[in-house]
Amino acid sequence: MSKAARQRSARERLAEERKRQAQRQQRTRRLLVTLSGLVVVALAVVITVYFVNKKDEGTYTGALAPTSRQADGAILAAQPGAKAPKLEVFEDFQCPICHEFENTSGATIKRLAAQGKVNVLYYPFWLFKQQAEPIRGNSQRAANAALCAPADKWIQYHDAIYKHQPQEGSNGFSNKDLIGWAKDLGFDTPQFEQCVNGGQKQSQIDSMTNFAENTRKVTGTPTVFLNGQSLDLNSTLLDAKNLEKAILSAAPAAITPSASGTPSSAPSASASPSASAQK
Amino acid sequence: MAAARGEGGFPRVIMRQQEWITLVVRVALAAILGTAGYAKFSEAQGLQKVAVSSYRLLPQSLVSPVALGLPVLEMALAALILLGLATRTMAICVGLLFIVFIAGIISVWARGLSIDCGCFGGGGTVAKGQTHYLREIFRDLGFLVLAAWLVVYPRGKLALDRMLGL
Repeated sequence: MSKAARQRSARERLAEERKRQAQRQQRTRRLLVTLSGLVVVALAVVITVYFVNKKDEGTYTGALAPTSRQADGAILAAQPGAKAPKLEVFEDFQCPICHEFENTSGATIKRLAAQGKVNVLYYPFWLFKQQAEPIRGNSQRAANAALCAPADKWIQYHDAIYKHQPQEGSNGFSNKDLIGWAKDLGFDTPQFEQCVNGGQKQSQIDSMTNFAENTRKVTGTPTVFLNGQSLDLNSTLLDAKNLEKAILSAAPAAITPSASGTPSSAPSASASPSASAQK
Repeated sequence: MAAARGEGGFPRVIMRQQEWITLVVRVALAAILGTAGYAKFSEAQGLQKVAVSSYRLLPQSLVSPVALGLPVLEMALAALILLGLATRTMAICVGLLFIVFIAGIISVWARGLSIDCGCFGGGGTVAKGQTHYLREIFRDLGFLVLAAWLVVYPRGKLALDRMLGL
């Protein structure tokens, strides 16, 4: 090998070494950029899940407003003689969003009712009668049992039913369980068991469903009317603070008229239920 | 042949503009992901959870974290894709996410459930005959193509990657 050739190959080797070093640096840089990108994304997700995850309010343990059964099957929760706005809750025990509504806003509604700041009418009905089993039957049995339950334990029973809501598509709300929860609350009687097992409230379920769907034009649940005005699901029903604000700023209203189910009773009922998440 | 076709089988005219195309794809993908993420993020948590659980794929304990985390994941990926940071890696993540979405919709469809995919907020059970599975799948396939472009051609204009010397 000549001297010139040796020199050239040394230069080449040096250049190669530099090139390899540059490549290594480039690889390190790429790795750092990639890692930092992944870390940013992962941190954003983890922090949100960890800190934003609001716990549900949990079971309401405060005082409850006195409850009574209306002629049409609805349950009224109101302080006697309270001059307060009227909140009508149309719900189906099998509806997942109703469960979420109960979790986020149920306690607020109960508290305001106990304080005489709102009069609440609960209308559980059979929204899912057109659905396939098991959703259809779950919904029906729960609605029936809720109609069999006595008014003075109704709110607690309502909460127990929601607490045990079966996942959509699974069997649940068996009559045995529905009777068991009544036993837990201390109002199980032979009549109640007969009422549950025999589906004895079917005609009232039908009339309440008819009232909800045809008179009040409820097409989905939860639909909640404040003085006849349907409340927005996303901004109000599932946001307890906004719901409380809306209730506190509403005018007092008479409790009764809609109970008869005659179309003339509630002209405002045609308000389209924008809260129909269950299409 | 060599004159008309560049790398990857695309006409050279396109390949000459590849870095600009990558920029456009980045902006489009970021807009789609950002919109989808924000639409979910701005909804009540209850609705997000219902949308996730209506797929009936996750155990109850995972519904809440996924419902909360997914919108943020989408928005964070959108932000980094827009900035062009770790573009290829982020595009791979986005592609995997879309594959998961498509698999989820196919699984729901195969099990005969009727839900809204909740892709851009909303979601939950809908009446039979109110489903749009095919449309939702093709839409996600379209998004997957955008992500794939970025995986193959991550180098683009106005990217942080460039400024960092990649």
